[in-house]
Amino acid sequence: MKKILLTASIAALMTSTAMAATIGVSVARFDDNGLTVMRNGMTEHAKTIDGLDLQVEDATDDVAKQLDQINNFVASGVDAIIINAVDTNATEAMSRAAADAGVPLVYVNRQPINMDSLPENQAFVASNEIESGTLAAFRMCQDLRAQGKSGGARAYMLMGQLSNQAAVQRSKDFEDVIGMDMCNFITLIDKQTAEWSRDKAQDLMTNWISSGEEFDAVFGNNDEMAIGAIQAMKAAGISMDDVVVGGVDATQDALVAMKAGEMDVTVFQDLAGQGAGSIDTALKLANGEEVDQTVFIPFKLVTPENIDDFL
Amino acid sequence: MADSQDGIGGLVFDKSKRTWPNEINVFVALILIIVIFEALGAMIMGQSFLFDSKDRFDSVFNEARLKIIILQVSIIGIIALGVTQVIITGGIDLSSGSVVGVTAMIAMSFAQVSEVNGIPNPKAVFGPGLMDLPILVPILVGLGCGLFAGLVNGFMVAYTKIPPFIATLGMMVSARGAAKWWTSGRPVSFPTEEYASIGAGMMPVIIFVTLAILFYFVMKYTVYGKHTYAIGSNEDAARMSGINVTRHKVLVYSIAGMLAGISAIVLTSKNLTAQSGMGIIYELDAIAMAVIGGVSLSGGRGSIVGTVIGALIFGVIISGFTFLRLDAYYQEMVKGGIIVGAVVLDQWRQRRAAARV
Repeated sequence: MKKILLTASIAALMTSTAMAATIGVSVARFDDNGLTVMRNGMTEHAKTIDGLDLQVEDATDDVAKQLDQINNFVASGVDAIIINAVDTNATEAMSRAAADAGVPLVYVNRQPINMDSLPENQAFVASNEIESGTLAAFRMCQDLRAQGKSGGARAYMLMGQLSNQAAVQRSKDFEDVIGMDMCNFITLIDKQTAEWSRDKAQDLMTNWISSGEEFDAVFGNNDEMAIGAIQAMKAAGISMDDVVVGGVDATQDALVAMKAGEMDVTVFQDLAGQGAGSIDTALKLANGEEVDQTVFIPFKLVTPENIDDFL
Repeated sequence: MADSQDGIGGLVFDKSKRTWPNEINVFVALILIIVIFEALGAMIMGQSFLFDSKDRFDSVFNEARLKIIILQVSIIGIIALGVTQVIITGGIDLSSGSVVGVTAMIAMSFAQVSEVNGIPNPKAVFGPGLMDLPILVPILVGLGCGLFAGLVNGFMVAYTKIPPFIATLGMMVSARGAAKWWTSGRPVSFPTEEYASIGAGMMPVIIFVTLAILFYFVMKYTVYGKHTYAIGSNEDAARMSGINVTRHKVLVYSIAGMLAGISAIVLTSKNLTAQSGMGIIYELDAIAMAVIGGVSLSGGRGSIVGTVIGALIFGVIISGFTFLRLDAYYQEMVKGGIIVGAVVLDQWRQRRAAARV
């Protein structure tokens, strides 16, 4: 009798521990709006999965700290690691650390530089930044044509932190689009970085306005900077009907600005979807299943026509 | 009848040995930098930096540029006024930026408007009962936050005697954590119209200049000001002459904390949002403004006027780079060089002046 009870209880314990999994997550920064949406998407999704223990750490924009966090996760015996890279050029070392320890690794939201040569049990879930800038720039080009400015239009570009691949790629997308035959009536007057910040963007735009150059369009690598530029233009008495303003992210603030007719274009990045997708992929890798090593979640263009889908 | 030049005991006032106030040095540096940008502007851009070469304004100056030069440094300038006083007492405050961050989040949560363009506020932190509050509430909350942080800093420095660097470093880290914790990193936006008017237009400049004038008089003509310099020059002598050093230090750090709180209110009002990452590096910029303005990190020397000129130098540099369309990569490198250069210039002139005496 005792033996039966003993084996039954051990079996029960084993099944419950077999269900439980721990995933260690390192997010580049906790105080970035977009990444907060992603992080919250992850924690929400994790709640719906039985027995999943999610441990989320803040890498505070420190590359070295992030590598330490990986080593800490490995030491505490997690089943999988999810990394939102601080610096997408430093991912080789991170991949190697995880591969050496035999722990599955999933990169989320920021494209690792070793994307095409990831080890067997590693994957990458994000959106392709080539889409984001291109969608926004293309639509801005169409809007300018519709305004009758195909004879010549001038634009300013506010860039994000230049150490982020997203900033570099989105800026390149914009310049590629205005280099195409269809859109080369647009000239870029100047491009400067406002470090993703609304306040810096506001001051930068005010500086540009003070130089007295005529302009027709403003593109911000993210919504925060586009909103800052809008605030500056409004303070200077420039009508938002005369300027085409574009951003990326489709944050709540941006959607409100679009409803008010101030912002013309933005692009929705399904960050919560990326977060949830990365958890599912990590669990599959931890269970030894086959996965697609690169999963791209598409960006969606948001304009006054389809804004209600996103509110 | 004694000649007006004869003093007591045969001392004579020698006019040739008159020394300039230190602020002149900084002012000269400011003029020098402006001249350099004008020259570069004429050579590279064919335009003037400060003057209205395109005749867009009524006056001879490019009014828009003059305005943005001071507007973009006003918010950090407010912090610099407090940091100046702290450094003059021989201490330092590394927490200003983080205090701005946490104050921004908390104060903005009390300044929420209930309806945005007809839809309920999507960013509301508290329930409907705490929206559309009178403007005094978020202002007092913000001041209270800054004051609290300053008090903690002051008590730690004055009573536990740990170095101000460490005490304020601890506050810097903790306050930033608190800023992120408040709404789990989510930004807070959409304040009421009244709150938005605090930082609208040139208000940040008006607030900065008013506070600068206030603290100029405080530092120069009140007992508080004199005690601040005394503690910085020689703390032991100050204590022995009856100054309550502990209480004064708590006061100085509290004022610095409150000024950081005011800065946060103006910042969130200007941007109509509060983000947990606001204020990063502000403390270093504020310290740089003070140091360029002639404040000595060993204490006892410096002035509000110098700090204001230091702030203007920052503003000129930022606008100058954008004016010249200088590549973003070069800007930070050159800015560091200018900061060091301005301080070297100031030190050299002071040594020359001391040698002449």
